[in-house]
Amino acid sequence: MKKILFVEDEEALQRAMGDMLERAGYTVLKALDGEAGLAMAKKEIPDLILLDLVLPKKNGFEFLEEIKKDASAKNIPVIVLTNLEGSAEVERALSLGATTYLVKANYKLDELLGKIEIILGHHAK
Amino acid sequence: MAGGFVESLNLKKTCAEYRVGLWQCPQFLFLVMGAVIISAIMVTYIVASRYEEPEIASLVVLVLAAILFAIGNLIVRAFEQVALSSRSKSEFISIMSHQLRSPLSAVKWQVNFLLSDAQRKTPDAASMQKYLQTVYDQNERMIRSVNDLLEVNRIEDNDLVLRPTLFSIEDITKKIAGEYKSFAAASNVNIEVAVTGLAPTIYADEERIKYVMEHLMDNAVRYSSMGGKVSISIAVEGGKLVWKIIDQGAGIPPKDQKRIFEKFFRSDQALRYQTEGSGVGLFIVKSIIKKSGGEVGFTSSLGQGSMFWFQLPIKNNV
Repeated sequence: MKKILFVEDEEALQRAMGDMLERAGYTVLKALDGEAGLAMAKKEIPDLILLDLVLPKKNGFEFLEEIKKDASAKNIPVIVLTNLEGSAEVERALSLGATTYLVKANYKLDELLGKIEIILGHHAK
Repeated sequence: MAGGFVESLNLKKTCAEYRVGLWQCPQFLFLVMGAVIISAIMVTYIVASRYEEPEIASLVVLVLAAILFAIGNLIVRAFEQVALSSRSKSEFISIMSHQLRSPLSAVKWQVNFLLSDAQRKTPDAASMQKYLQTVYDQNERMIRSVNDLLEVNRIEDNDLVLRPTLFSIEDITKKIAGEYKSFAAASNVNIEVAVTGLAPTIYADEERIKYVMEHLMDNAVRYSSMGGKVSISIAVEGGKLVWKIIDQGAGIPPKDQKRIFEKFFRSDQALRYQTEGSGVGLFIVKSIIKKSGGEVGFTSSLGQGSMFWFQLPIKNNV
């Protein structure tokens, strides 16, 4: 079973996304802040990371910076999932190595699931 | 002549719509500059035709050029003001829309899940209740954000009208403290309310003073992530009501202390603890208290906690 780590401080979003992913057959790891997320990513090496940008303790950019320095975790695809949409944020996240940048409010859960499947399928090859 | 007069009236109206004084209003300044240029040329002509010496004419031109330079400077400043206010408006829109998008996407995902759950043969009643509760909570959050947005707009337009009524500050403090109890308990925070002497009935805008107290209480609890005590005290000092709230939380870094009542200001320190919020709460708090004839302030030391207070005039003989 594929493991997905969801780093998100909003529990309401955690739950909806988490339940949906579990129903789709994934193992879901949850972290409520950037620091815990980073520790979990390094320890568990998930198949994919969903990352919010505005996070307590370590924000999404710091998370990206650090995970790309970790030899075993740097190749995990990271989907940035946020409600920030400034061009500066998009550019920064992508230049730090995010696989893709999605705006939460614009996606339904099943659409996100589709995106996740495509990225996982691509990375499995 | 009549046309010019009407136009000048319009100019005044236009500048009033921009909410700037005449000497900060680009249209008016432009008109003044035009008038100065025309009179400058006329004066130069007259001077040059009357006096033989070219020095006098050039001196006059020099003086008039200096005046034009000063007016030009005023115009640039006026435009700067306009640009600044437009930037602050767009900053406002971007912050508030992010603020609304968070609960909106939370509701979207909850409903999404509920709909897919409803299609299953055995919908889970317990999780359904959780999801519906979240939808309700997030909707409340949106209402609060929109209310804040409207309040900030009223403050900026100088249009904050209070609706005073008589109420007991003690009752309302205890009521709010009660409402915050479970939220506080979740972070191991204990809220205490102490009243010194007889707490007076005050005449003020109850809803808005309630907003102030809720906001200060919310902050005190939120930034006490390590737990501890939040103590509120109510007293009368020098004929004024003094309301204080002390926490043992994160405290405010000295470099940020000057700015915390500014609109949209959020210290990096705050973001480490609490990502929700738009940075307008304390701005609204200060505006409400000032409008009510009171004062608000705080002392804080990093890592040890903060003490916020406000005082209000006691007017209970209405």
